[in-house]
Amino acid sequence: MAYAYLFKYIIIGDTGVGKSCLLLQFTDKRFQPVHDLTIGVEFGARMITIDGKQIKLQIWDTAGQESFRSITRSYYRGAAGALLVYDITRRDTFNHLTTWLEDARQHSNSNMVIMLIGNKSDLESRREVKKEEGEAFAREHGLIFMETSAKTASNVEEAFINTAKEIYEKIQEGVFDINNEANGIKIGPQHGATNATHAGNQGGQQAGGGCC
Amino acid sequence: MNFLRGVMGGQSAGPQHTEAETIQKLCDRVASSTLLDDRRNAVRALKSLSKKYRLEVGIQAMEHLIHVLQTDRSDSEIIGYALDTLYNIISNDEEEEVDDVEGKRFEDLGSQFTEIFIKQQENVTLLLSLLEGKWRTSEFDFHVRWPGVKLLTSLLKQLGPQVQQIILVSPMGVSRLMDLLADSREVIRNDGVLLLQALTRSNGAIQKIVAFENAFERLLDIITEEGNSDGGIVVEDCLILLQNLLKNNNSNQNFFKEGSYIQRMKPWFEVGDENSGWSAQKVTNLHLMLQLVRVLVSPTNPPGATSSCQKAMFQCGLLQQLCTILMATGVPADILTETINTVSEVIRGCQVNQDYFASVNAPSNPPRPAIVVLLMSMVNERQPFVLRCAVLYCFQCFLYKNQKGQGEIVSTLLPSTIDAMGNSVSAGQLLCGGLFSTDSLSNWCAAVALAHALQENATQKEQLLRVQLATNIGNPPVSLLQQCTNILSQGDKINRRGSKIQTRVGLLMLLCTWLSNCPIAVTHFLHNSANVPFLTGQIAENLGEEEQLVQGLCALLLGISIYFNDNSLESYMKEKLKQLIEKRIGKENFIEKLGFISKHELYSRASQKPQPNFPSPEYMIFDHEFTKLVKELEGVITKAIYKSSEEDKKEEEVKKTLEQHDSIVTHYKNMIREQDLQLEELKQQVSTLKCQNEQLQTAVTQQVSQIQQHKDQYNLLKVQLGKENQHHGSQSDGAQMNGIQPEEIGRLREEIEELKSKQELLQSQLAEKDSLIENLVSELLQPSASAGDSEKVAELKEELATLKSQLNSQSVEITKLQTEKQELLQKTEAFAKSVPVQGEGETPAAANSTDVEGRLSALLQETKELKNEIKALSEERTAIKEQLDSSNSTIAILQNEKDKLELEITDSKKEQDDLLVLLADQDQKILSLKNKLKDLGHPVEEEDELESGDQEDEDDETEDGGKDQDQGYL
Ligand SMILES: Nc1nc2c(ncn2[C@@H]2O[C@H](COP(=O)(O)OP(=O)(O)OP(=O)(O)O)[C@@H](O)[C@H]2O)c(=O)[nH]1
Ligand SMILES: [Mg+2]
Repeated sequence: MAYAYLFKYIIIGDTGVGKSCLLLQFTDKRFQPVHDLTIGVEFGARMITIDGKQIKLQIWDTAGQESFRSITRSYYRGAAGALLVYDITRRDTFNHLTTWLEDARQHSNSNMVIMLIGNKSDLESRREVKKEEGEAFAREHGLIFMETSAKTASNVEEAFINTAKEIYEKIQEGVFDINNEANGIKIGPQHGATNATHAGNQGGQQAGGGCC
Repeated sequence: MNFLRGVMGGQSAGPQHTEAETIQKLCDRVASSTLLDDRRNAVRALKSLSKKYRLEVGIQAMEHLIHVLQTDRSDSEIIGYALDTLYNIISNDEEEEVDDVEGKRFEDLGSQFTEIFIKQQENVTLLLSLLEGKWRTSEFDFHVRWPGVKLLTSLLKQLGPQVQQIILVSPMGVSRLMDLLADSREVIRNDGVLLLQALTRSNGAIQKIVAFENAFERLLDIITEEGNSDGGIVVEDCLILLQNLLKNNNSNQNFFKEGSYIQRMKPWFEVGDENSGWSAQKVTNLHLMLQLVRVLVSPTNPPGATSSCQKAMFQCGLLQQLCTILMATGVPADILTETINTVSEVIRGCQVNQDYFASVNAPSNPPRPAIVVLLMSMVNERQPFVLRCAVLYCFQCFLYKNQKGQGEIVSTLLPSTIDAMGNSVSAGQLLCGGLFSTDSLSNWCAAVALAHALQENATQKEQLLRVQLATNIGNPPVSLLQQCTNILSQGDKINRRGSKIQTRVGLLMLLCTWLSNCPIAVTHFLHNSANVPFLTGQIAENLGEEEQLVQGLCALLLGISIYFNDNSLESYMKEKLKQLIEKRIGKENFIEKLGFISKHELYSRASQKPQPNFPSPEYMIFDHEFTKLVKELEGVITKAIYKSSEEDKKEEEVKKTLEQHDSIVTHYKNMIREQDLQLEELKQQVSTLKCQNEQLQTAVTQQVSQIQQHKDQYNLLKVQLGKENQHHGSQSDGAQMNGIQPEEIGRLREEIEELKSKQELLQSQLAEKDSLIENLVSELLQPSASAGDSEKVAELKEELATLKSQLNSQSVEITKLQTEKQELLQKTEAFAKSVPVQGEGETPAAANSTDVEGRLSALLQETKELKNEIKALSEERTAIKEQLDSSNSTIAILQNEKDKLELEITDSKKEQDDLLVLLADQDQKILSLKNKLKDLGHPVEEEDELESGDQEDEDDETEDGGKDQDQGYL
C-alpha cells in the first residue's frame, strides 16, 4: 500500500514475441513455454524500489493480434511507460516496429517512455535480428533498448526497472504533470512522509503481487 | 422495416390524418429551412409530438434529426431538442404504464429504431463526439450532454452488444465516456454511472478499459462522498457498476486488489449497533456491498486470486468488521443472512481467517463462540430457511481444508471434553441434537455439517467412532455410528416434520463420507450384523421413484463397504460381500441403482457451487462436497464390483509391496531428518561454546590486569611505608598504626591464601576439562559416535559454565581484596599525615620507636613476601590464560571435526539418495511388470492409481487450490 509513486505500463508488440511471458517472469518469476494467446488485455502488478522509493508498477499486457488492435489502443493514453517488444528470431516482428511506434506515438501522451525490447535472447542460434540493428532503431527513434529473455529471466528485471527509472527522472525534471492521472502516474498515499519509516515494513513485499 | 410498415398500415385508427401531415411538414421545415430559428422551432415541435406519436415521428423524422446533429452543432438548443426527440423515440422508459401487449410492441419499437439508428456506425460516433467535453464550462454543454447521455444509455439498453462493439472500435470511445464520472454536474455524473452500467454489461474488454481509466478510484470516491451505505441511489448505482466491472473478470479483480481498493471497502461495514437507520435504500446498498465482497472471494474464482483477496480482507480488518455485524443486534434478517454468506466465503479454505473466525465470540454473558451461536440457529426450526442455509454454508466454509477446525469440532463430542465443558452447550452437542431431532431439515443440516468435519480427514473419521450417546435411562450407551444406522433402518417409525427422504439422505451422505477412505469405520459399520441385510434389502426392493435416490445411496454405502474393506471381518470380507450382491441384488441391478444418484435432477445443480442455495426446503437434498465424493467413487466401485477375486488378490499384493517400499522410503526420510536435526544441534552447541570461551578469555585478561594493578599498589604502599620509616623513625605513638596494619595485612594474606587455593582448584578443573576435550576429540574422530558427541559437548559446556562461574566468584573476591587494599592505603596515608602533627605535640619515646622500627622492618619483610606471592599468582594467571587459549584452539579443532562429520553425514545422505533412486528403479520395474500384465489382458488401472498415489498427493493439493497455490500466486 505504501508506495511513493504508481506507474502504469503497457506492453505492446506482435503476437508471439513474448509479451505475456515477460510480464509473468517479472511478476511471478515463472516461464510459460506454451503460447497462451492473450485475449484483449491482462493485468499484472509488482512493487519495485528506485532511489530508495517504493514504486508500484501496474502493467497491462496487450494482445498482439491485429484483431484486438482497436481495444488495445484504448490503453495508450493512460500509460506512463510502454515496453515495445519484438522477437529477435523473427525479422517480421522487427519490421513491424515502425507501425507500432506510429500507433503508440499517435495515441499516447507525448511524454510516455518507450523501452524497445528484443526478446528471446536465449535463442542465439536462431537469431534473425542483430543486436546492433535493435540499438540503431532505438537510437534513431529516441527509445531505450535492451535484449531480454523471458525464458532465462535475463534482463527482464532491468527492462521494467530501467523504464521506471527513466519515468522517475522525468518526474524529477518536472516533465510529467504528476497531478494528472491521465499520464499514468499517481503519487502514493504517503508521498512526502519520511520514506525510511515505511520502507522497513515494506521490505518483504517487493516481489509478486503482495497486496497492501 | 417490414414490421414498421405493418404497424403503420394497421393503425388507421391511430393518429389523425392531420397529425401525420403536421409531422411531415415539420420534417420538411427541418430539412429545407435556411433559418436556424425556423429549424429550431420545427425540431422543438417534433419533440413535443414524439412521445404521443412515437412511431410516426420516428419513421419520418429520424434521418432529419440525425442530419441536425451533424450540421447544427454550433447551436446547443437545437441539438438538445434533436437528442431529446431521438431519446423519446428510442427509449421505452416512459411507457411503463402501458398494458402488456402494448408494452411488448413498444419494446420492439425501441429496438427497431435503435437498429435503424446504429445501422450507420457514424451515428454512434457522432453521438460520442457530442458527449466529449469540448464546451466544458458553458451551459451549451449541459443542453447537449445530458440528453446525449440518456440517448446513448437507451441505445445500449436496446441493443447492448452491437452498440458496445461500435463504441469499442471507435478511437478512445470508452475512455471518453469515462470522463462523465468527472463531470461537476451531479445529474450528468449520475446518469453517466447508468450509462457505464449499460456499457459494461457482460463485456470483458470494455470492463477492463473502464477499470484502466481509474473507474475504481472514481466510484469509490463517489461512494465515500455520498456517505457509504447511508448514501442514496447513486451509491446503489455505483455499486452495481462496480459489480459489473469485477464479476467474473479476473484481470479487473487482480487490479482491484493490487490497487489496495479492498482496504477502502472496510468503512462500508462500520454500520454501528444503533438500530436507528435501516432505510430500504441502506439495506439495498449494504446488500450490494456484501455481494461485491463475495465477488472478490467467490469459490469459483481462480484459487490463488481468492486466497490473496481473503488475506487482504483479514489484514485490513474487513473480516473483523463483518464479524461485528454478524454479532450485532437489530440487523435486518436479510442483511444478516447475506453477511453470514459473505463471512463464509471470506474464510473458506483460508487458515488465518478460519482461525480468526473460530476466536470470535458473541457478546453474550458468558461469551459464547460465534460458531456455537450460529449452529443454534441452524438447528432451530423457527429461524428463516435462508438463514439456516447460510449458517450451514458458514460452517462448511469454516471447516473447508481446515484440519484444525475439524479436530476442534469433533473433540467437543469426545467423552473427555464433554465432561470438561460443564454446562455450556458445545458445537458437537448442537450437531447431535440436530441429527436426532424431529425436524428433518435439522437432521439434514446437522448430518451434512458433521460430514464436513470429516472431509478428507482420516483422523477425525476414526475419532468420531469413539463417540457414545446416552440413550434412555437404564439402557447402555450407543455409538454415534450405531445410532445413525438405527435411525436409518427405523426411520419410518419416528414422526417427523418435513420430508422423510431428507433425513435419510442426510444420514446416508454422512455415513458414506465417514466410511470412505476409512477401513476401521467400515469394520465398525459391518460389525453390526443388521446393517448389511438392511442395505441389501433396500437396494433389492422394487420401490417407487421417490425411493430411488435412497436406494442409490444405499448402494453407494455398500460399495464403499466393499471398496474400503480391509478384510478384517471374517463374515464380511470383500469377496463375501460381492457374492452377496450377486446373489441378492445382481451386479447389473446394483450398478444401475448406484447410478440413480448422479442421475438425480438436483445432483448437477448441487455439484456446481459449494453454497447450499435452495429455493425451498424440499430442494435441500444434495451437498456439494458429497457430489464430489460420488464422482470420485462411482467409477471405482463399479470396477470393484466387476473385478474377480484373483485380480483383487493381485492388487492386494501389489499394494503391499508398494506399502513396503513406502515404509522403507519413509524410514530413510525420517533418518535423514533426524540426522539433520542432530547436526543442527551440534552446530549450535559449538557456536555457543565458542562464544563462552571468548567471554572467559576476556575475563582472564581483565583479572590479569587487575593483579598488575594490585602489584603496583603494593609497590606504592611499600615505598610510602619506607618513606614513613625515614621521616618518623622515632615515632612514639605508632601503636595505633601498628595495631591496625599487621592485622590488615594478616587478613590480606589469608585471603590471598584462599585465592591461591581456589586457583589451584581452578587449575585442576582446567586440567579435567582438558582431558575431557581430549576424550571428546578422540570420540569425534569416530563418526559413528555422533549421537554421543552431543552429550560430550554438553558436558564440556557444563564444565565451561562452572569454570566461568568460578572465575566470576574469583573476580568478585579480587574486587573485595582490592577495596580492602584501598582502605589499607588510605589508612596508611591518614597515618602518615597524622604522625607529624602528633610529633610536634609530644615527646618521642625511644623505646617505642625501636619497637616500631622492628615492626616496620617485619612489615616490610612481609610485604616483600606478599609481593612475591602476588607475582607467583600473576604467573599462575598467565598460565591459566595460556591453558584457556589452548583449550580454545582445541575447540576450534573440535569444530573442524564436526565439519568433517557434517560432510560425512552429507555423504551418507547421498548414499541414501542413491538408495532412493534404486527404490525408484524398483518401482519402475513394478510398473513395467504391471504393464506386461496389462498387455496380457489384465485390467490393472486401479493398481496404477494406487502406485502413483503417493507421488500424486502433492500435485493433487495444488489442483485443489490448497496452500501451495496460495503461495504460488503471491
Ligand atoms: N525461448 C524463448 N521463448 C520465449 C521467450 N519468451 C516467450 N517465449 C515463447 O514464445 C511464445 C509466445 O509467448 P507469449 O508471451 O505468449 O507471446 P505474446 O507476445 O504474449 O503473444 P500475444 O498474447 O498473442 O500477443 C510462447 O511459446 C513462449 O514460450 C523467450 O525469452 N525465450
Ligand atoms: Mg500475450
